[in-house]
Amino acid sequence: MVASIVLSGVAIGCIYALIGITYNVMFSASRVFSFTAGTLGMLGGVLGSLFISRMGLPIAVGFLLALAGGAALGVVTEIVAVRPVLKSLDQHLYVLSTLALALIVQQFTAIEWGTDARPFPRLFDLAHGVFDQQFWLPMLACLVVIVGLELLYRHTLVGHAFLAIAEDNFAARALGLPERGLRIASYALAGVIGALAGFAGGEMLLAFFGNAPMLTFYGFVPVALGGMGNNRGAVVAGLLLGLFQQAANFLVGGIFASVAVFTVFILVLLARPEGLAGAALPRRV
Amino acid sequence: MSITRRQALASAGAAALAGGLAKPAIAAKEPILVGYLPALTGPSSSTGIGINRGTQLAVQEINAAGGIDGRMIELITRDTQSDPTKAVNGAAELTRGQKVSAVFGPLNSGESLAVVPMLARTNTPQIHPCWVDSLTDVQKYPMCFRNAPTNQQIGAAANRYVVEVLKLKKVAVISDTTGYGTASVNAYVPMLKTKGAEVVYQGNVDAANPDLKPELLRMQSAGAEAIMPWSVNAGFLSRIINTRGQMQWDVPIVGQTTLGSGQTKALLEKPEYWAKVYPNNFRPVCYAPGGKLSDRTGAFLDRLKTAKIDLSDTLLWWVGVGYDTPRMIAEAMKSVGTEPEAVVGYLNKLKKFPGVYGDISFSPEQHDGYPDDEVVMVEANSLKDGAFNLAPGYGA
Repeated sequence: MVASIVLSGVAIGCIYALIGITYNVMFSASRVFSFTAGTLGMLGGVLGSLFISRMGLPIAVGFLLALAGGAALGVVTEIVAVRPVLKSLDQHLYVLSTLALALIVQQFTAIEWGTDARPFPRLFDLAHGVFDQQFWLPMLACLVVIVGLELLYRHTLVGHAFLAIAEDNFAARALGLPERGLRIASYALAGVIGALAGFAGGEMLLAFFGNAPMLTFYGFVPVALGGMGNNRGAVVAGLLLGLFQQAANFLVGGIFASVAVFTVFILVLLARPEGLAGAALPRRV
Repeated sequence: MSITRRQALASAGAAALAGGLAKPAIAAKEPILVGYLPALTGPSSSTGIGINRGTQLAVQEINAAGGIDGRMIELITRDTQSDPTKAVNGAAELTRGQKVSAVFGPLNSGESLAVVPMLARTNTPQIHPCWVDSLTDVQKYPMCFRNAPTNQQIGAAANRYVVEVLKLKKVAVISDTTGYGTASVNAYVPMLKTKGAEVVYQGNVDAANPDLKPELLRMQSAGAEAIMPWSVNAGFLSRIINTRGQMQWDVPIVGQTTLGSGQTKALLEKPEYWAKVYPNNFRPVCYAPGGKLSDRTGAFLDRLKTAKIDLSDTLLWWVGVGYDTPRMIAEAMKSVGTEPEAVVGYLNKLKKFPGVYGDISFSPEQHDGYPDDEVVMVEANSLKDGAFNLAPGYGA
């Protein structure tokens, strides 16, 4: 039982962590929490199944096209749901605009793809086993994203530019950085990460339009617990969430597992509103 | 020649009388309009598309045989697009605009829940095949008839199979968290207990939950001898079947018809996991032990093949209920005409209408016409030509 909790808990935790990172990448570039993050995850699974299973494309091509689809939705999110409300961030209109876009995409998927879950292709021709690819693929994807983002942010000029606009976009723009272009690129990158989460977890979550709200909610928990914009915090909190959720599934089961997860979530936020790994912002007086 | 006012009035009166006398002769050749509300597009359209194949065939056959006393049936179709709002709009247009003589549909419960109360105010006879219990009520909807089972009959058949045929007493009942799922569990668990079964596990789980192993382990440790899932979500059902297979746990899974759908099959990790899975179905459209359909259904299957109607992507009972309903309406109108009260009066006395899907009977007090004992369980992995083998334990 412990092995089962750990395996599936870590795997689903990696998917939550990736969705959390998707939120963070978009947040860093715009100070906006885009609720299309879970929709991007759902779309990764649906597009993977569409390109590989239904259209019969090679796995590598289907994978790249699914990521491209995620990037495209990321860019659309920036243009349609984020850019128009950036001037009035304090009114939090982005909650409505990004949720509206997420719902449109979700309903469109339900109409065109169907409301039934559909199979996601098995990516490697390996026999089903205890440490199955449906578990290690999300772990691998999470590892690749963490390492990739570290390399991008610390060792490339573009990465430094991303960090600059995340730190202070007015100062970055004053220094001549193309803030709008970098924001669009950040949203495209977030789209790729979100789609990768859904693609890597496709065998576990299936190609199902209903995954969007589930990932939107559970993917936000690592962000809140790990600290806004803190990717390392999101990974740790995502893994803890996955493990706790699976343990709750085993111990209390059914619908009560969700209740247990959100009870702990609220208790943690009551104790540390800035999140487990977040730093409390000093307030100017 | 001058015409007096009296002559003009007499001529006008004669003309009006002649016109009035001629009217029935013209009306006799007019088609009989029957409203039809299938979901031919949208997420719930697989049922509608299957039923529509039978409906179109029946109308063609009725009209080819001379119609109803020389009057052709004209099906006025409004695609509900799987949307209750569009179904209501379609029903309003059919009754108020087209003034149809009867309505067949909607074909999904969600749409019928919206349409049935609305049609009840329009004095239009209605027949639908939807399962939600509240969709017939002789007091509230006296012109509405159901030629399919209710959810109570569906649950009762599954319970009967587990307790009386398989002789299993310890049962796990699981559903998703939808209204249908939770309502089914709440309704069927007391029925199981009345039958003497012990419900050792009862749970509602989010259909998107990717890992159902904890739930199945809990069922196993509680000593469950059968799993009864109630959900129309193929992903949820396939996870139950896959997890049972991974655990190499040899208990039967008995429940909702979606257990036997192509969508569920497509989500199975191994085809052999589909063994010992028994979904609901209907005896007249199932293969008896020995692999034979009844003579009536066999003849119907031959007609479908002659008409080149494809069954590879649909279910025989869908096509069957689609075929039966226009014939039932036609028989009523052939006997008593098209007046709404007369049609309802005829249906209220209908006894064992010989349908492909089942023998339908109504009474003034009972508008649920499907017989209890025709609701059976079948082997999920035996689908051929849209029909299944009866589950083990049923007699021929």
